[in-house]
Amino acid sequence: MSMMTGKDYIESLRALTPEVYFLGKRIKSVVDEPMFQPHIHAAAMTYELAHDPEHEEIMAATSHLTGEKINRFTHVHQGIDDLVKKVRMMRLMGQKTATCFQRCVGLDGLCAVYATTYDIDQKYGTKYHERFKNYLREVQKHDWMPSGAMTDSRGDRSLRPSKQVHPDVYLHIKERLEDGIIVTGAKTHITGAINSHEIITMPTRTMAEEDKDYALSFAIPADTKGVTYVFSRQTNDTRRLDGTLDAGNPKYGIVGGEAMIIFNDVFVPWERVFMAGEYDFTTELVETFAGYHRSNYGGCKVGLADVVIGGSAWIAETHGIGRVSHIVDKLTEMIAMAETCWSCTLACSYEGYKTPSGAYHINPLLANVVKLNITRMVYEWMRIAQDIAGGKIITLPSEKDLAHPEVGKMVEECFYGKDGIAPMDIIRMLRLIENMSVGAGLPEAMHGAGSPAAQKIMISRRSGIDKKMELAKRIAGLSPDKDFERIIGKGEKAHWDQVRRNMQEKKVQIY
Amino acid sequence: MLLVGIRYCGGCNPQIDRSGVITKLKDAIEKRGMAVDFTAERERSVNIVLLVNGCIHACLEEAYLKEGGSTRFISIKGEMVDSDYVREDCIPEIVIKKITETMDSPSH
Repeated sequence: MSMMTGKDYIESLRALTPEVYFLGKRIKSVVDEPMFQPHIHAAAMTYELAHDPEHEEIMAATSHLTGEKINRFTHVHQGIDDLVKKVRMMRLMGQKTATCFQRCVGLDGLCAVYATTYDIDQKYGTKYHERFKNYLREVQKHDWMPSGAMTDSRGDRSLRPSKQVHPDVYLHIKERLEDGIIVTGAKTHITGAINSHEIITMPTRTMAEEDKDYALSFAIPADTKGVTYVFSRQTNDTRRLDGTLDAGNPKYGIVGGEAMIIFNDVFVPWERVFMAGEYDFTTELVETFAGYHRSNYGGCKVGLADVVIGGSAWIAETHGIGRVSHIVDKLTEMIAMAETCWSCTLACSYEGYKTPSGAYHINPLLANVVKLNITRMVYEWMRIAQDIAGGKIITLPSEKDLAHPEVGKMVEECFYGKDGIAPMDIIRMLRLIENMSVGAGLPEAMHGAGSPAAQKIMISRRSGIDKKMELAKRIAGLSPDKDFERIIGKGEKAHWDQVRRNMQEKKVQIY
Repeated sequence: MLLVGIRYCGGCNPQIDRSGVITKLKDAIEKRGMAVDFTAERERSVNIVLLVNGCIHACLEEAYLKEGGSTRFISIKGEMVDSDYVREDCIPEIVIKKITETMDSPSH
């Protein structure tokens, strides 16, 4: 099969029978469940745009394994150009859906496991990388969307995984068999999990020798026996059952649609296992994945910012205040913040590098700066969106009241803005701004791809503070400045002695 | 005598002390009495080009490949040498190993 369209993707999910629970009931068909449809539509966009001549340049790629044209969401980056196109794709997708389109997590999982398995094999002579390449060929051939399952529920954070009272708070190997492994445990808030074809698991943290059984990475079909999903609630989620207006973004939803995944004695054949005990590579896998994933946020969230900035400007225009100076100033502030994040993510892509595996990785320091900025700036530009949109975004009447035969017309007339603008259009735009700025999208920007503390640890670790101290010491005159000495043509001490003498003799000429 | 041509990247934000690494490399080669000389003159014909990039992005390697340089090269790029991760203090040893391999190769 070649690249799927959006429709193909939705239909392909029908072939899977994952065990999914939501609001206390077992969901028989993921595709037909109204609560899930916006998330599915957002993911479908990743498929659809790869066929669009207007977007295929960034949405499609050429497989380095087969030479075939593939969806970029299944492509392992082979150069700086790929890294840059990836974040361009993220911004485009954010603009097209105004929400999380979910598929980047699996993409980053593919790229991180690709690079790490190569390094494991170099050290231990294992065959993980070849196995993984075989798996990647299948992903590309079928155009699968794998979910990337990293975060464990983690229990008592002061204890190592192997010391937990409840061992299943971390996914781990329960048994090693001749033909595979039995795993048990849970992964939490996994984006796009219920509408993915596959699950790729990765360890959530650095493991030590005693945590060997937790140093684990594998891929399985989403409906593997023993895998259970419990879909998470989001702010105002059931509004999507009330009609087409109140949800704000009924087509694509609000953030990605997260689920917890419970693994209950799940069998994984060896050919799908990519790490099983190599605890000394867990840091590399976690940091590689986190680096890729954190860089994305300067693309996707900026795409969302483009939409919310546009929505805010439209609301101001339709209320006759589009040219008022404080509105222009606020919109400009939003744009400057969004483009700052965009600059960061472009920089971390252009400053990427070739890993030993041949795959390219982003600049990890800059990727963490991207994400740290996002944890702050998304809140700030959404705060300004709320400011411009006004209190209406939290007091709007419901679609049902607007449709009421007795009060509906009167209610609608209260929302007139500039002449010629339909009040229902104004209400619809306000609902979109409410959806984007009030709901679950904000904490997602905070914690998705890791919380701010995690980014600060990485930034601190990679900042090269010792070298910065050396720079300061050289300028302050605490250590030799050879460049300065070449400029003045003598040693620094001799130069300053001369300067002092000249000052005493009131001479200006130094050289 | 094997001649190594040294080229430095621009050094905008190096993760390693580039000239410090090269000084240690030259000292170590001298101590071992290896028949290796160094030059920074780009026009001279050399046996190996040593690309000294301050970080893993490796601008210089990119430029060298783009200009179609045909001389065998060793690329220091931050804490990597060619495709291996290497701590800064171990870089001279790894480069010496690679130079030795070149000296021992039949084509040299």
